[in-house]
Amino acid sequence: MVAVLNRQGPPTQAEFHEVISTRSDRWYSACLKITRNRDLAEDAVQDALLNAWNKRHQFDRSARLDTWIHRIAINAALQLLRKSKPGVFEALEDDVEGPSPTPEHVRADEELGRDLAQALRQLSEIERVCFVLKHLEQWRLKEIAEEIDSNVGTVKQAIFRAVKKLRVRMAALQREAL
Amino acid sequence: MNDHSPHEFDALGLDREVKAPRHMKQRWHDSIDLAAQREFNDQKQTARAFSMSSFFWGSAVTAALALGIAIGVFVADDPEYIEPTEYVVQDRGNSFDRVMQVHLRDTQNDIASMPIDTAEDRTTLVLRIIQQNRLFEQAAERNEADNLARVLRAFEPILLQLAASDIAPEDAEALRDQLAFQLKVMLTKLERSTSKETTST
Repeated sequence: MVAVLNRQGPPTQAEFHEVISTRSDRWYSACLKITRNRDLAEDAVQDALLNAWNKRHQFDRSARLDTWIHRIAINAALQLLRKSKPGVFEALEDDVEGPSPTPEHVRADEELGRDLAQALRQLSEIERVCFVLKHLEQWRLKEIAEEIDSNVGTVKQAIFRAVKKLRVRMAALQREAL
Repeated sequence: MNDHSPHEFDALGLDREVKAPRHMKQRWHDSIDLAAQREFNDQKQTARAFSMSSFFWGSAVTAALALGIAIGVFVADDPEYIEPTEYVVQDRGNSFDRVMQVHLRDTQNDIASMPIDTAEDRTTLVLRIIQQNRLFEQAAERNEADNLARVLRAFEPILLQLAASDIAPEDAEALRDQLAFQLKVMLTKLERSTSKETTST
Protein backbone atom coordinates (compact mmCIF):
# COMPACT_ATOMS: atom_id res chain seq x y z
CA MET A 1 0.00 0.00 0.00
CA VAL A 2 1.43 3.33 -0.98
CA ALA A 3 1.90 5.56 2.04
CA VAL A 4 -0.26 8.47 1.06
CA LEU A 5 -3.01 8.13 3.59
CA ASN A 6 -3.15 9.78 7.02
CA ARG A 7 -1.08 12.70 5.80
CA GLN A 8 -2.09 16.26 5.23
CA GLY A 9 -1.23 18.86 2.65
CA PRO A 10 -0.02 18.24 -0.88
CA PRO A 11 2.00 15.09 -1.62
CA THR A 12 5.69 15.54 -0.84
CA GLN A 13 8.77 14.89 -2.95
CA ALA A 14 9.34 11.71 -0.92
CA GLU A 15 5.83 10.45 -1.71
CA PHE A 16 6.42 11.05 -5.42
CA HIS A 17 9.64 9.03 -5.24
CA GLU A 18 7.80 6.28 -3.42
CA VAL A 19 5.07 5.94 -6.05
CA ILE A 20 7.61 6.11 -8.88
CA SER A 21 9.47 3.22 -7.28
CA THR A 22 6.39 1.11 -6.65
CA ARG A 23 3.86 2.00 -9.34
CA SER A 24 5.59 3.37 -12.41
CA ASP A 25 5.63 -0.04 -14.13
CA ARG A 26 1.82 0.09 -14.19
CA TRP A 27 1.77 3.60 -15.66
CA TYR A 28 4.36 2.69 -18.26
CA SER A 29 2.50 -0.52 -19.22
CA ALA A 30 -0.76 1.33 -19.73
CA CYS A 31 0.91 4.06 -21.78
CA LEU A 32 2.80 1.49 -23.86
CA LYS A 33 -0.41 -0.39 -24.68
CA ILE A 34 -2.05 2.86 -25.75
CA THR A 35 0.82 4.25 -27.81
CA ARG A 36 2.67 1.07 -28.88
CA ASN A 37 5.73 3.27 -28.75
CA ARG A 38 8.35 3.16 -25.97
CA ASP A 39 9.48 6.77 -26.38
CA LEU A 40 5.94 8.11 -26.31
CA ALA A 41 5.11 5.95 -23.27
CA GLU A 42 8.22 7.16 -21.44
CA ASP A 43 7.43 10.79 -22.25
CA ALA A 44 3.81 10.33 -21.23
CA VAL A 45 4.85 9.17 -17.76
CA GLN A 46 7.38 11.98 -17.54
CA ASP A 47 4.78 14.59 -18.54
CA ALA A 48 2.28 13.11 -16.09
CA LEU A 49 4.73 13.27 -13.21
CA LEU A 50 5.64 16.90 -13.85
CA ASN A 51 2.00 17.79 -14.30
CA ALA A 52 1.08 16.05 -11.06
CA TRP A 53 3.98 17.72 -9.24
CA ASN A 54 2.95 21.18 -10.44
CA LYS A 55 -0.70 20.55 -9.52
CA ARG A 56 -0.03 18.65 -6.30
CA HIS A 57 -1.84 21.31 -4.26
CA GLN A 58 -5.04 20.26 -6.04
CA PHE A 59 -4.60 16.60 -5.08
CA ASP A 60 -7.43 15.26 -2.96
CA ARG A 61 -6.05 13.23 -0.06
CA SER A 62 -9.09 10.95 -0.14
CA ALA A 63 -7.73 9.55 -3.44
CA ARG A 64 -4.54 7.58 -4.03
CA LEU A 65 -1.57 9.41 -5.44
CA ASP A 66 -0.58 6.56 -7.78
CA THR A 67 -4.11 6.29 -9.20
CA TRP A 68 -4.20 10.03 -9.76
CA ILE A 69 -0.88 9.97 -11.63
CA HIS A 70 -2.03 6.89 -13.60
CA ARG A 71 -5.01 8.80 -14.95
CA ILE A 72 -2.86 11.82 -15.84
CA ALA A 73 -0.40 9.51 -17.61
CA ILE A 74 -3.16 7.99 -19.76
CA ASN A 75 -4.32 11.45 -20.78
CA ALA A 76 -0.73 12.43 -21.56
CA ALA A 77 -0.28 9.28 -23.68
CA LEU A 78 -3.42 10.07 -25.67
CA GLN A 79 -2.27 13.63 -26.20
CA LEU A 80 1.18 12.56 -27.36
CA LEU A 81 -0.32 9.96 -29.70
CA ARG A 82 -2.63 12.56 -31.18
CA LYS A 83 0.26 14.97 -31.59
CA SER A 84 2.52 12.40 -33.24
CA LYS A 85 -0.21 11.25 -35.63
CA PRO A 86 -2.76 13.99 -36.29
CA GLY A 87 -6.18 12.59 -37.20
CA VAL A 88 -5.32 9.23 -35.65
CA PHE A 89 -8.76 8.85 -34.03
CA GLU A 90 -10.80 9.93 -37.04
CA ALA A 91 -10.27 7.31 -39.74
CA LEU A 92 -12.55 4.50 -38.54
CA GLU A 93 -14.10 3.47 -41.87
CA ASP A 94 -10.91 3.14 -43.87
CA ASP A 95 -8.71 2.14 -41.00
CA VAL A 96 -9.70 -1.51 -40.85
CA GLU A 97 -6.20 -2.90 -40.97
CA GLY A 98 -3.63 -2.13 -38.31
CA PRO A 99 -0.87 0.31 -39.23
CA SER A 100 2.26 -1.11 -40.84
CA PRO A 101 4.91 -1.65 -38.13
CA THR A 102 7.55 1.02 -37.60
CA PRO A 103 10.89 0.43 -35.77
CA GLU A 104 9.25 1.98 -32.67
CA HIS A 105 6.41 -0.53 -32.91
CA VAL A 106 8.87 -3.40 -33.18
CA ARG A 107 10.72 -2.26 -30.05
CA ALA A 108 7.45 -1.80 -28.17
CA ASP A 109 6.22 -5.22 -29.28
CA GLU A 110 9.36 -6.82 -27.84
CA GLU A 111 8.40 -5.44 -24.45
CA LEU A 112 4.72 -6.25 -24.69
CA GLY A 113 5.31 -9.94 -25.37
CA ARG A 114 4.62 -12.00 -28.48
CA ASP A 115 0.91 -12.81 -28.04
CA LEU A 116 -0.16 -9.39 -26.87
CA ALA A 117 1.94 -7.66 -29.48
CA GLN A 118 0.47 -9.78 -32.28
CA ALA A 119 -3.03 -9.14 -31.01
CA LEU A 120 -2.58 -5.39 -30.71
CA ARG A 121 -0.83 -5.22 -34.08
CA GLN A 122 -4.04 -6.31 -35.79
CA LEU A 123 -6.00 -3.41 -34.39
CA SER A 124 -6.13 0.07 -35.85
CA GLU A 125 -5.04 2.96 -33.60
CA ILE A 126 -8.59 3.91 -32.68
CA GLU A 127 -9.62 0.29 -32.09
CA ARG A 128 -6.62 -0.32 -29.86
CA VAL A 129 -7.02 2.88 -27.85
CA CYS A 130 -10.78 2.41 -27.35
CA PHE A 131 -10.36 -1.26 -26.43
CA VAL A 132 -7.51 -0.62 -23.97
CA LEU A 133 -9.33 2.27 -22.30
CA LYS A 134 -12.55 0.26 -21.97
CA HIS A 135 -11.21 -3.19 -21.24
CA LEU A 136 -8.06 -2.46 -19.24
CA GLU A 137 -8.64 0.98 -17.81
CA GLN A 138 -12.38 0.58 -17.23
CA TRP A 139 -13.25 3.95 -18.68
CA ARG A 140 -16.88 4.69 -19.57
CA LEU A 141 -17.78 4.98 -23.26
CA LYS A 142 -18.67 8.65 -22.80
CA GLU A 143 -15.30 9.38 -21.18
CA ILE A 144 -13.46 7.69 -24.05
CA ALA A 145 -15.51 9.59 -26.62
CA GLU A 146 -14.75 12.90 -24.92
CA GLU A 147 -11.05 12.13 -24.61
CA ILE A 148 -10.60 11.27 -28.28
CA ASP A 149 -12.93 14.02 -29.51
CA SER A 150 -15.38 11.53 -30.94
CA ASN A 151 -18.86 10.24 -30.16
CA VAL A 152 -20.12 7.23 -28.23
CA GLY A 153 -21.30 5.50 -31.45
CA THR A 154 -17.83 5.61 -33.00
CA VAL A 155 -16.25 4.35 -29.78
CA LYS A 156 -18.73 1.44 -29.58
CA GLN A 157 -18.01 0.52 -33.17
CA ALA A 158 -14.24 0.66 -32.62
CA ILE A 159 -14.51 -1.63 -29.58
CA PHE A 160 -16.82 -3.99 -31.52
CA ARG A 161 -14.24 -4.33 -34.29
CA ALA A 162 -11.42 -4.77 -31.78
CA VAL A 163 -13.26 -7.55 -29.96
CA LYS A 164 -14.03 -9.28 -33.26
CA LYS A 165 -10.37 -9.17 -34.36
CA LEU A 166 -9.11 -10.32 -30.98
CA ARG A 167 -11.52 -13.28 -31.01
CA VAL A 168 -10.05 -14.35 -34.32
CA ARG A 169 -6.59 -14.03 -32.81
CA MET A 170 -7.68 -16.06 -29.76
CA ALA A 171 -9.02 -18.81 -32.01
CA ALA A 172 -5.71 -18.90 -33.87
CA LEU A 173 -3.86 -19.17 -30.57
CA GLN A 174 -6.06 -22.04 -29.47
CA ARG A 175 -5.45 -23.83 -32.77
CA GLU A 176 -1.70 -23.31 -32.32
CA ALA A 177 -1.93 -24.78 -28.83
CA LEU A 178 -3.63 -27.97 -30.03
CA MET B 1 -20.47 -5.20 -28.94
CA ASN B 2 -19.66 -5.16 -25.30
CA ASP B 3 -20.97 -8.60 -24.47
CA HIS B 4 -17.54 -10.15 -24.04
CA SER B 5 -16.40 -11.49 -20.70
CA PRO B 6 -13.81 -9.38 -18.88
CA HIS B 7 -11.45 -12.39 -18.85
CA GLU B 8 -12.10 -13.50 -22.42
CA PHE B 9 -8.77 -12.17 -23.65
CA ASP B 10 -6.63 -13.02 -20.63
CA ALA B 11 -4.70 -15.58 -22.67
CA LEU B 12 -3.36 -12.75 -24.83
CA GLY B 13 -1.67 -11.24 -21.81
CA LEU B 14 -3.56 -7.97 -22.04
CA ASP B 15 -3.19 -7.43 -18.31
CA ARG B 16 0.50 -8.17 -18.39
CA GLU B 17 2.57 -5.51 -16.65
CA VAL B 18 5.60 -4.37 -18.62
CA LYS B 19 8.59 -3.40 -16.48
CA ALA B 20 9.86 0.08 -17.19
CA PRO B 21 13.64 0.05 -17.80
CA ARG B 22 15.78 1.31 -14.96
CA HIS B 23 17.10 4.35 -16.86
CA MET B 24 13.53 5.51 -17.45
CA LYS B 25 12.68 5.25 -13.76
CA GLN B 26 15.84 7.16 -12.95
CA ARG B 27 14.81 9.89 -15.38
CA TRP B 28 11.39 10.14 -13.69
CA HIS B 29 12.95 10.34 -10.23
CA ASP B 30 15.38 13.01 -11.47
CA SER B 31 12.62 15.05 -13.05
CA ILE B 32 10.82 15.32 -9.69
CA ASP B 33 14.04 16.32 -7.94
CA LEU B 34 14.73 18.94 -10.60
CA ALA B 35 11.20 20.34 -10.40
CA ALA B 36 11.43 20.51 -6.61
CA GLN B 37 14.84 22.17 -6.78
CA ARG B 38 13.60 24.72 -9.30
CA GLU B 39 10.64 25.52 -7.11
CA PHE B 40 12.87 25.86 -4.05
CA ASN B 41 15.22 28.24 -5.92
CA ASP B 42 12.25 30.35 -7.02
CA GLN B 43 11.08 30.60 -3.41
CA LYS B 44 14.59 31.50 -2.32
CA GLN B 45 14.78 34.26 -4.92
CA THR B 46 11.44 35.64 -3.81
CA ALA B 47 12.62 35.56 -0.20
CA ARG B 48 15.85 37.37 -1.16
CA ALA B 49 13.97 40.04 -3.11
CA PHE B 50 11.69 40.58 -0.15
CA SER B 51 14.56 40.83 2.30
CA MET B 52 16.34 43.37 0.10
CA SER B 53 13.28 45.61 0.04
CA SER B 54 12.89 45.19 3.83
CA PHE B 55 16.53 46.10 4.23
CA PHE B 56 16.07 49.20 2.10
CA TRP B 57 13.14 50.39 4.20
CA GLY B 58 14.94 49.44 7.41
CA SER B 59 17.96 51.51 6.37
CA ALA B 60 15.73 54.43 5.41
CA VAL B 61 14.00 54.39 8.81
CA THR B 62 17.35 54.10 10.62
CA ALA B 63 18.75 57.03 8.63
CA ALA B 64 15.66 59.13 9.40
CA LEU B 65 15.92 58.28 13.11
CA ALA B 66 19.63 59.12 13.18
CA LEU B 67 18.92 62.44 11.48
CA GLY B 68 16.14 63.13 13.97
CA ILE B 69 18.44 62.42 16.92
CA ALA B 70 21.20 64.56 15.43
CA ILE B 71 18.82 67.50 14.96
CA GLY B 72 17.46 66.97 18.49
CA VAL B 73 20.97 67.02 19.91
CA PHE B 74 21.96 70.05 17.83
CA VAL B 75 18.99 72.17 18.86
CA ALA B 76 19.00 71.08 22.52
CA ASP B 77 18.94 73.91 25.06
CA ASP B 78 21.57 72.43 27.37
CA PRO B 79 25.03 72.46 25.70
CA GLU B 80 26.32 69.76 28.12
CA TYR B 81 24.46 67.06 26.20
CA ILE B 82 26.19 67.90 22.92
CA GLU B 83 29.68 67.07 24.21
CA PRO B 84 30.98 63.48 24.07
CA THR B 85 31.12 62.09 20.55
CA GLU B 86 32.83 58.94 21.85
CA TYR B 87 29.86 58.19 24.11
CA VAL B 88 27.41 58.46 21.22
CA VAL B 89 29.42 55.98 19.12
CA GLN B 90 29.66 53.53 22.01
CA ASP B 91 25.95 53.82 22.71
CA ARG B 92 25.15 53.12 19.05
CA GLY B 93 27.14 49.86 19.23
CA ASN B 94 25.40 48.90 22.40
CA SER B 95 21.93 49.50 21.05
CA PHE B 96 22.76 47.49 17.94
CA ASP B 97 23.74 44.56 20.17
CA ARG B 98 20.47 44.93 22.06
CA VAL B 99 18.45 44.93 18.83
CA MET B 100 20.38 41.85 17.78
CA GLN B 101 19.55 40.19 21.09
CA VAL B 102 15.87 40.90 20.54
CA HIS B 103 16.12 39.34 17.06
CA LEU B 104 17.87 36.25 18.40
CA ARG B 105 15.33 35.85 21.20
CA ASP B 106 12.45 36.19 18.71
CA THR B 107 14.09 33.56 16.54
CA GLN B 108 14.53 31.34 19.59
CA ASN B 109 10.83 31.65 20.39
CA ASP B 110 9.83 31.00 16.78
CA ILE B 111 11.99 27.91 16.67
CA ALA B 112 10.73 26.64 20.02
CA SER B 113 7.12 26.89 18.80
CA MET B 114 7.91 25.56 15.31
CA PRO B 115 5.52 22.80 14.13
CA ILE B 116 7.58 19.70 13.41
CA ASP B 117 4.90 17.45 11.90
CA THR B 118 3.23 19.86 9.47
CA ALA B 119 5.81 20.53 6.81
CA GLU B 120 3.96 23.39 5.14
CA ASP B 121 3.64 25.49 8.31
CA ARG B 122 7.24 24.76 9.18
CA THR B 123 8.44 25.81 5.72
CA THR B 124 6.51 29.09 5.85
CA LEU B 125 7.90 29.91 9.28
CA VAL B 126 11.47 28.99 8.38
CA LEU B 127 11.39 31.06 5.17
CA ARG B 128 10.27 34.03 7.27
CA ILE B 129 13.13 33.44 9.73
CA ILE B 130 15.56 33.24 6.78
CA GLN B 131 14.37 36.62 5.51
CA GLN B 132 14.81 38.20 8.94
CA ASN B 133 18.18 36.54 9.41
CA ARG B 134 19.51 37.93 6.13
CA LEU B 135 18.34 41.39 7.09
CA PHE B 136 20.21 41.25 10.38
CA GLU B 137 23.25 39.67 8.76
CA GLN B 138 23.51 42.66 6.41
CA ALA B 139 22.97 45.05 9.31
CA ALA B 140 25.78 43.32 11.23
CA GLU B 141 28.10 43.73 8.24
CA ARG B 142 27.29 47.42 8.02
CA ASN B 143 28.03 47.80 11.72
CA GLU B 144 31.35 46.00 11.20
CA ALA B 145 30.24 43.21 13.54
CA ASP B 146 31.96 40.60 11.38
CA ASN B 147 31.77 37.76 13.89
CA LEU B 148 28.07 38.26 14.36
CA ALA B 149 27.48 38.41 10.61
CA ARG B 150 29.44 35.18 10.19
CA VAL B 151 27.40 33.37 12.83
CA LEU B 152 24.14 34.57 11.31
CA ARG B 153 25.34 33.37 7.91
CA ALA B 154 26.13 29.98 9.44
CA PHE B 155 22.49 29.61 10.53
CA GLU B 156 21.25 29.70 6.96
CA PRO B 157 22.27 26.21 5.77
CA ILE B 158 20.53 24.69 8.80
CA LEU B 159 17.46 26.84 8.19
CA LEU B 160 17.39 25.83 4.51
CA GLN B 161 17.43 22.16 5.49
CA LEU B 162 14.59 22.80 7.91
CA ALA B 163 12.62 24.54 5.14
CA ALA B 164 12.63 21.41 2.94
CA SER B 165 9.13 20.04 2.80
CA ASP B 166 9.94 16.37 2.99
CA ILE B 167 12.45 15.82 5.74
CA ALA B 168 11.44 13.29 8.37
CA PRO B 169 10.00 14.79 11.60
CA GLU B 170 12.87 13.32 13.65
CA ASP B 171 15.44 15.00 11.35
CA ALA B 172 13.55 18.28 11.60
CA GLU B 173 13.59 17.95 15.37
CA ALA B 174 17.35 17.32 15.42
CA LEU B 175 17.97 20.39 13.21
CA ARG B 176 15.70 22.49 15.39
CA ASP B 177 17.65 21.43 18.51
CA GLN B 178 20.97 22.22 16.80
CA LEU B 179 19.71 25.66 15.82
CA ALA B 180 18.30 26.35 19.30
CA PHE B 181 21.67 25.43 20.83
CA GLN B 182 23.64 27.71 18.48
CA LEU B 183 21.22 30.56 19.10
CA LYS B 184 21.60 30.11 22.85
CA VAL B 185 25.41 30.22 22.61
CA MET B 186 25.24 33.35 20.43
CA LEU B 187 22.80 35.05 22.73
CA THR B 188 24.88 34.30 25.84
CA LYS B 189 28.00 35.76 24.18
CA LEU B 190 26.11 38.89 23.17
CA GLU B 191 24.62 39.36 26.63
CA ARG B 192 28.06 39.06 28.19
CA SER B 193 29.64 41.58 25.84
CA THR B 194 26.74 44.03 26.31
CA SER B 195 26.92 43.82 30.10
CA LYS B 196 30.75 44.35 30.01
CA GLU B 197 30.32 47.45 27.84
CA THR B 198 27.59 48.79 30.09
CA THR B 199 29.77 48.37 33.19
CA SER B 200 32.78 49.95 31.54
CA THR B 201 30.88 53.08 30.38
